[in-house]
Amino acid sequence: MKELIAQGAESVIYRIERWNQYFVLKWRQSKPYLFKDIDSHLRKTRTSRECKMLSVARTLGVRTPAVYAVDLDDFTILMDYIEGVQFKQLVSTLTENQLKGFCLEFGRSIALLHKGDVVHGDPTTSNLIIDSESRLWLIDFGLSEMNATIEMKGVDLHLIHRALETTHWDLQESMLEATIRGYSDSLGKDAMDILSRMEEIRERGRYH
Amino acid sequence: MLVLICLGLEGTAHSFGAGIVTDDGSVLSNEWDMLKPAQGGIHPREASRHHSDLGPSIINNALEKAGINYNDIDFIAFSRGPGLGPCLRTTATMARTLSLKLDVPLVDVNHCVAHIEIGCLESRFKDPVTVYVSGGNSQVIAYAGGRFRTFGETLDIAIGNMLDVLGRELGMGFPAGPIVEKLAKQGTNYHSLPYSVKGMDLSYSGMLTAAKKLFSEGIPIPDICFSVQETAFGMLAEIAERAIAHTKKQELLLTGGVARNNRLTEILEGVSKRHDVKFHRVSPSLAGDQGAMIAWNGILQFNAGHTIEISDSQVLPKWRTDEQDIIWRA
Repeated sequence: MKELIAQGAESVIYRIERWNQYFVLKWRQSKPYLFKDIDSHLRKTRTSRECKMLSVARTLGVRTPAVYAVDLDDFTILMDYIEGVQFKQLVSTLTENQLKGFCLEFGRSIALLHKGDVVHGDPTTSNLIIDSESRLWLIDFGLSEMNATIEMKGVDLHLIHRALETTHWDLQESMLEATIRGYSDSLGKDAMDILSRMEEIRERGRYH
Repeated sequence: MLVLICLGLEGTAHSFGAGIVTDDGSVLSNEWDMLKPAQGGIHPREASRHHSDLGPSIINNALEKAGINYNDIDFIAFSRGPGLGPCLRTTATMARTLSLKLDVPLVDVNHCVAHIEIGCLESRFKDPVTVYVSGGNSQVIAYAGGRFRTFGETLDIAIGNMLDVLGRELGMGFPAGPIVEKLAKQGTNYHSLPYSVKGMDLSYSGMLTAAKKLFSEGIPIPDICFSVQETAFGMLAEIAERAIAHTKKQELLLTGGVARNNRLTEILEGVSKRHDVKFHRVSPSLAGDQGAMIAWNGILQFNAGHTIEISDSQVLPKWRTDEQDIIWRA
């Protein structure tokens, strides 16, 4: 049984049942409108990168789906299916304290990655899943990178800021505050440089 | 039925434009002129001089083409920002003068928002994800919670700026975009260039440096143009897709001067098919910086009850897309 559950920006997500268990099959389809060399390069690097980084993140202490199989001819990854809801969809239903709690946890998870010199690359609230036991999972590691510099970590935080201001504009201040607090508490004094880099990056692309 | 007539003045950068639009959405005229520096980039002072020298005759031409007199104008809209300070001030001065002289209201318009709304007028789109690409801007924008929110943008230089700087390096005139597009068609060999997408943001500076290096290595110019276009537009396509997947909107709009590029249009058309959303590319005469978009946005704001006193109308060079309350959509 194969059920389409999401059409992502660069992939199609199916839920499949095997051995009496649900799995996610993530397939990076070909995009005929891209030049073929770019298309195949992206499909290949993103698939192998996601596969590797899901495991790297897990060893750093971040909850990520376990990978069971990867097919680099068809560009698919078979991984855990997380029974839960996208954090983005959950935000408006939460109490203030629940929301704060998840944001702190989000910040801590990103800090764990950064501690290991890993960036997520697309840390939006669409890429967080809250499971039935209220645990937070990070997904979608196709843009994730190792050996991250302060600049790359600053960009990661900038993207969080951007995601909150565009998608959760009415709650952005409290969400950002809690996320940054979770991040700083977990990262300690190293957080300062990265936070100031975030501000710097934010100013770069804008009119000032 | 009586219609309202708005004169819109655009002058945020190197172009000055005057457009006349009615409140039923008809563009009666749309005249503009672009400063083309003999060499180098745009100097803000020279651009503002261009606007003050040519502005009055461009406005007269717009009135003549529209077949109206100054007394037929119901109100004046002007580009208040964002843009180059001297250019904005020159344009605002003309708008204020006309407002006083004709004794009609003044409306202040955000240049970036105007690019989106003129696209919505033409396409009849209600709520698109907008890819706004020009010499000074590369943004992916969508409406949410009373504002146009910038979901993604360039972290360094805009796509049009990147093409112009590259063009200058390759010995092309200004603007280089159309020449790059033409030569790219003759390119046959693809050379890999840095592809830099960060979430819904992107970066072009690394690609520009690498493309210049290809030139110094003697790679034929058409191949460079081809490789640059495919890489740069592929990145734009990806952030547009991320915005569509994230917002779940059903329309994709391409606007701004670089919307004239056919290859970019083809790629974004492909994106829209993959996500099963509607697509529209703003027609060439409404793609670049021009007065009709300012006039149309002025009408939307005027009809929503917004005008501005001259004493409050100082220009806003850093006015971001997401800083204006979009009262006419609320």
